[in-house]
Amino acid sequence: MEVFIEKENNVTTARFVGRLDTPASQEVSKSVEPILEDPSGTIVLDCKDMEYISSSGLRIFLTIRKAAASKGGKVIVKDINNDIRQVFMMTGFLNLFEIQ
Amino acid sequence: MDKTVERKKLFRVFLVLVAAVILEATSFIQFRSLFDTARRAAQKNAEHILVTSRYAILDVVEQAEQAIRDNMWIARWCLQYPDSLVSVSARIVENNRAVSGSTVALVPGYSRKFPLWAPYAYLSGNKIEYTTLATATYNYPNQPWFTKALEKGEGYWSEPYLDEGGGNIMMTTYSMPLKDRAGKDAAVITADISLDWLSEHVGKIDSYDNAFSILVSRNGLLMVAPSDSLSMKMYLGDLAANMKDKVHFHELEEGMMSGKTGEVSIKGKHDTFHVYYSPISRTDWSMAVVFPDKEIFEDVRQMGLMAALLQVVGLLMLFFILRAMAKSWVDYQKARDNEEHMESELQIGRDIQMSMIPKNFSFPERTDLDISATIVPAKQVGGDLYDFYIRDEKLFFCIGDVAGKGVPASLVMAVTRSLFRNISALEDSPKVIVEGINWGMFDMAESEMFVTFFCGVLNLEDGLLTYCNAGHNPPLLFTDKIEMLPVLPNIPLGIDLGMEFEGQTIQFHNDDAIYLYTDGITEAENADHDQYGLARMQAVLHERRSAQEHLDAVMASVRSFVGEAPQSDDITMLFIHYLNKKQRTDVMEKHLILHNDIQQIPQLAGFVEAIAEQKNIPQAMTMSLNLALEEAVTNVILYAYPEGTDGLVDLEAILRDDSIEFILSDGGKAFDPTATPDADITLGVEERQIGGLGIFLVRQIMDRVLYKRENGRNILSMTKNI
Repeated sequence: MEVFIEKENNVTTARFVGRLDTPASQEVSKSVEPILEDPSGTIVLDCKDMEYISSSGLRIFLTIRKAAASKGGKVIVKDINNDIRQVFMMTGFLNLFEIQ
Repeated sequence: MDKTVERKKLFRVFLVLVAAVILEATSFIQFRSLFDTARRAAQKNAEHILVTSRYAILDVVEQAEQAIRDNMWIARWCLQYPDSLVSVSARIVENNRAVSGSTVALVPGYSRKFPLWAPYAYLSGNKIEYTTLATATYNYPNQPWFTKALEKGEGYWSEPYLDEGGGNIMMTTYSMPLKDRAGKDAAVITADISLDWLSEHVGKIDSYDNAFSILVSRNGLLMVAPSDSLSMKMYLGDLAANMKDKVHFHELEEGMMSGKTGEVSIKGKHDTFHVYYSPISRTDWSMAVVFPDKEIFEDVRQMGLMAALLQVVGLLMLFFILRAMAKSWVDYQKARDNEEHMESELQIGRDIQMSMIPKNFSFPERTDLDISATIVPAKQVGGDLYDFYIRDEKLFFCIGDVAGKGVPASLVMAVTRSLFRNISALEDSPKVIVEGINWGMFDMAESEMFVTFFCGVLNLEDGLLTYCNAGHNPPLLFTDKIEMLPVLPNIPLGIDLGMEFEGQTIQFHNDDAIYLYTDGITEAENADHDQYGLARMQAVLHERRSAQEHLDAVMASVRSFVGEAPQSDDITMLFIHYLNKKQRTDVMEKHLILHNDIQQIPQLAGFVEAIAEQKNIPQAMTMSLNLALEEAVTNVILYAYPEGTDGLVDLEAILRDDSIEFILSDGGKAFDPTATPDADITLGVEERQIGGLGIFLVRQIMDRVLYKRENGRNILSMTKNI
């Protein structure tokens, strides 16, 4: 799993590539720390190339979402595939995020 | 008058002389026949010892081979992660009492990361220790267990060797080449068994004081010998120096080394030896039972001497008891004739019985059938029978037991068997076949004989088994479990000639099997008159084996239970394993073992992928199964074992027609994930808990999740319907 973070104006984009499983989540939670430091703007979680997510990955998403909510920021989850959409549905995450 | 007296006297002297000659001749014949009896008894004993020892050895051999077979799949799986191979070896040692050490040694260069890799797990006391065989001094790729297994492409039993590290115990190693999925030789997997039990099992011969056994390896090494100074040090050929009769010794050597069965008498320095030998299949070992000539014939010789002395006394008295002696001799001769007559009658009966039974079990052109049968007649000829053959893609088979013994029973058996052949040549329905045999049977009411009989017809194309049982004990049916085949209570054959029988049917699937037997097995008695019984038999049949191995295992178990007690009834078994690959696979198992390290999680993806491929599972479900397993396994890895300690997580998948069951087990602290409350997914961002989603997902994805704690292990069963 690789994460590419770009910041342009007020929009921070994190692009996830690969499988966000439990071992991967341990590293990803470190890579997304910069986002958590300043979660006030718009955060886009680009999932076009994310193949898989486990509950530990969902926890990272939820942590970001909570941080943003406390600072009035906005989190958009982009281009999730159908399998991951299924997981979002099962866990009620569809209601917590703006999905594009 | 004088003349008459003289003539009478002369006549009496003449009679005494004639009688003396006859007496001598008789005692000579008697003596000869005693010699023959002693020789035959020794031969019988030798055969018995050879057979029981062979079963004892094969039992251990089988355990080691089975241990390897059981773990091939896992080992193949672990090839991708060579550092996990040690867990396979550990598992082989841990789960198999006969196995004291094991390695999975990679073919040099197979793995780029580990060019030489042979982690070795072995038993030290009660603990499993680890070391590596990939050392410069040992150089495992040059060891025979490694090279021979690869060269032969199949299982290989090594020459026995001294295990210098382990307290000078004799060992032998079973090694098996392991191919990866692409069919390339990847590794050699081994199981070491110690041989210190051999002398215990093989060496002893109770019935003779000076008789002994020897066991030689394929290279002629004496594995078991009468003296410790010989065993495991000398070779069979080294003994030639002690033999006067080199020609016959070489005959023995050649016979044993080429895996033959035979007997030979050899003159040694002090005594003559009678040697009976026979190979131990699979291991290429050969065993011999040796009786010193003295041992066999000592008693007979002493008796002969006594008889000669008595004859001298007897001759002095003969004149007075001439007539009485003559009479008793005639009586004796009569009795002897009668006995011999009986003996040969029994032999004829036995010959009839054995000649009518199919002895060739393999249908080489058939891949859909593994069939084996055996009959062990009791000393008194009984009336067991079995038969089977294939006609029009149908397997016709039967088993029967004639109530009654001796020649009449074996004749009834012969009649039954030929009726079965004749009627089934034209008729496909077991019900009709059984009725036909019953009708064709002569009236046995007066002789109080009857036949319990089971007849089956297995359609090899679609697996439909039709059968009819006439009072025989119900066969065992092997599906995913072992149970009795349901049978209707029809009466045996030969009681009511006009009787109508009822037939039954059952659907066989690929990998199902049926085991038929006669009550000679379940009612086999040991010296205390305890019966062998159904439970013992079923316990033996529980393991997965070939048809022949099943029968060997039951026979070995019966023999060890019965011990020295004589066999009172015929023992007959028939095992039919149906292997129609064209049918859908119903049940299959897959295994994965992980360490409690989160970095092992990615292995789950491949595991699920392989199952999905097998069962044609759509991509979406594959991913969600992967997810559920990851959550369940992560939970165990993170919480079951105390931090920093090593523990194993065992994942087993049982693939059924309409469902997959995953069984996750670990030896960590007790935790019931089904008892945690569901996460509330309706809460908003602020209230939403960070944790608790993993187990919630498992329950969402799986159709049934059950937890139990058993023998100090957490066992979580997760079933998904497909």
